[in-house]
Amino acid sequence: MVPAEIIEFLSVLIYPGFIFIFTLAFFYEWVDRKFVARLQNRYGPLYAGPGGILQPFADFIKLLAKEDITPRAADKTTFRVTPILMLALALSTLFFIPTAYTTAVSWFEGDLIFVTFLVSILVLITLIAAWSSTSTFSTVGGIRVVLQMLGFEIPMTIVMVGPAIVSKTLSITNIALWQYTTGHYFAIYQPIGLIVLIICLLAEIKKAPFDIPEAESELAAGWITEFSGRKLALIRLTTDVELILAGALVTALFLGGPTGPFGIPSVIFFLIKTTGVILVISNLRALFARFRIDQMLGGFWKYLVPLALLQIILVTLGVG
Amino acid sequence: MNVVKWARSKSPWIIHFNTGSCNGCDIEVVAALTPKFDLERFGVLLKGSPRHADVIVVTGPVTNQVKERLKRVYEQMPSPKFVMAIGTCACSGGVFKDCYNLCQGVDKVIPVDIYVPGCAASPEAIIDGAAKLLKKISG
Repeated sequence: MVPAEIIEFLSVLIYPGFIFIFTLAFFYEWVDRKFVARLQNRYGPLYAGPGGILQPFADFIKLLAKEDITPRAADKTTFRVTPILMLALALSTLFFIPTAYTTAVSWFEGDLIFVTFLVSILVLITLIAAWSSTSTFSTVGGIRVVLQMLGFEIPMTIVMVGPAIVSKTLSITNIALWQYTTGHYFAIYQPIGLIVLIICLLAEIKKAPFDIPEAESELAAGWITEFSGRKLALIRLTTDVELILAGALVTALFLGGPTGPFGIPSVIFFLIKTTGVILVISNLRALFARFRIDQMLGGFWKYLVPLALLQIILVTLGVG
Repeated sequence: MNVVKWARSKSPWIIHFNTGSCNGCDIEVVAALTPKFDLERFGVLLKGSPRHADVIVVTGPVTNQVKERLKRVYEQMPSPKFVMAIGTCACSGGVFKDCYNLCQGVDKVIPVDIYVPGCAASPEAIIDGAAKLLKKISG
C-alpha cells in the first residue's frame, strides 16, 4: 500500500498538479492562437506537430535554450526572482480552484477571498518585475499594469461575491458543488455578473482589448521588454497558466465547476467548460482593438462598477 | 533529432528594423506577416523588443546615422541570433551604392545569414528566405 503522503505529493506534482497544468497551459495557448488565426482567415501555427499543436512547447524550449541577459542597470536579485515568483503564485492560485476533480487540490472555507488576494499579489509582482528591470518601457508598462488593476479589481471582487451570497459559502469548491447539487447555475441566474467577471478577467490576464501594459506599438514590449531567455519562458508560461486560471475561475463560480451528469470523469466537464470560456476570451481578443488606458479605467468605473453593484443588489433582493 | 534545434527551427520570432528603407520592403514584410501570406504558420511572431527576438529583419541601405543603432539593437538580442537582409538595398546598397552617407548593405555592419533581393522583395521571396533560414537553423 502506497502511503497517503506519496499519493498527495504525486497529485501535486503530476495530476492534477504541475505536469497537468503545464500541458493544459500549452494546449490552451495553441487553442487561443489557432482560434484567433482562423477568425482572421489565417492558418495559425501549422508545422510544429500535428496542426501546430506543439507550437507553444517549441516556443518554451527555444526560450529555455536561449541566452539569458540581465541588463547592467537592472536590480539583479529582484529581476531574477520575480518570474519564478509569478509562476509560483499563478500555480498556487490554481490549486484553490477545482480543475481535474470536483474538489480543488487544496481548499478551505474562505478560499474565495484568498484567491482574490493572490490575484492582486500577482499584479503587484508584475509591477516589481517591471520596476526592477529599470528600462523606461518596462517602467511605464508596470505603471499601466497597476493602473489597470485599479480598474478591474473592484468590480471583479464585487461580482465574485454574488455566487457566494446565494450559495452561502466562501469556498470556490463548495460554490461549484452547490450549483451542481441544486441545479442553480449562476450563469443563468446572474448573467450580468458573468459578463462583468469575464471582462475583468480579460484585463487581469492582460489580453486584448486590455493588453495596454504590453502595447507593442507604443511601449516596445511593455513590462516584459527586458526579459529574455529563461525568464521570458517562465513569464510566458505564467501568462498561459493565468489563461487557465481565468477559465477555471469562471467555470467554478458560474458554470458549476468540473461537475456534470452520466458519471463521466469530472476532468472532461472541466475541459469542455473551460475551453468554452477560453474561446469566448479569444473571440473578444480578435474582435476588439486595444483601448487607451483612460478609456479602460473610465469604462470600468463608469459602467462595470455600477453593473456589478446592480448584480449584488439583485442578489440581495432575491433575484439570482 | 535534437529537441533544441527542432524548437529553434519551429519558433523564429522576428524583430523588424528599418535602416533607411523607402518603406517598400517594410510593406512587403508586413504583407508576409498578415492574413494573406501568414508567416505565423511557421511559428513566426513579430516581437516589439529585441530581447525577445531570434531573427532581426533589416530593410533598407544602412545609413551612417543608423549604423550605431543597428549595432546596438543587434547586440541587445540574446544569442543564437540570425539576420535577414530584405531587399536589394539591404543586400548591397542597391541604387544608393557609393552614396556618401551609406555603408552599402547590412553585411558591412552585422553578419547576415539570408539575403532576400528584390525591389521591393515580394512576400513570396521573403517566405522563401524564411524557409531557407529555418533549414539553416535546423542544420
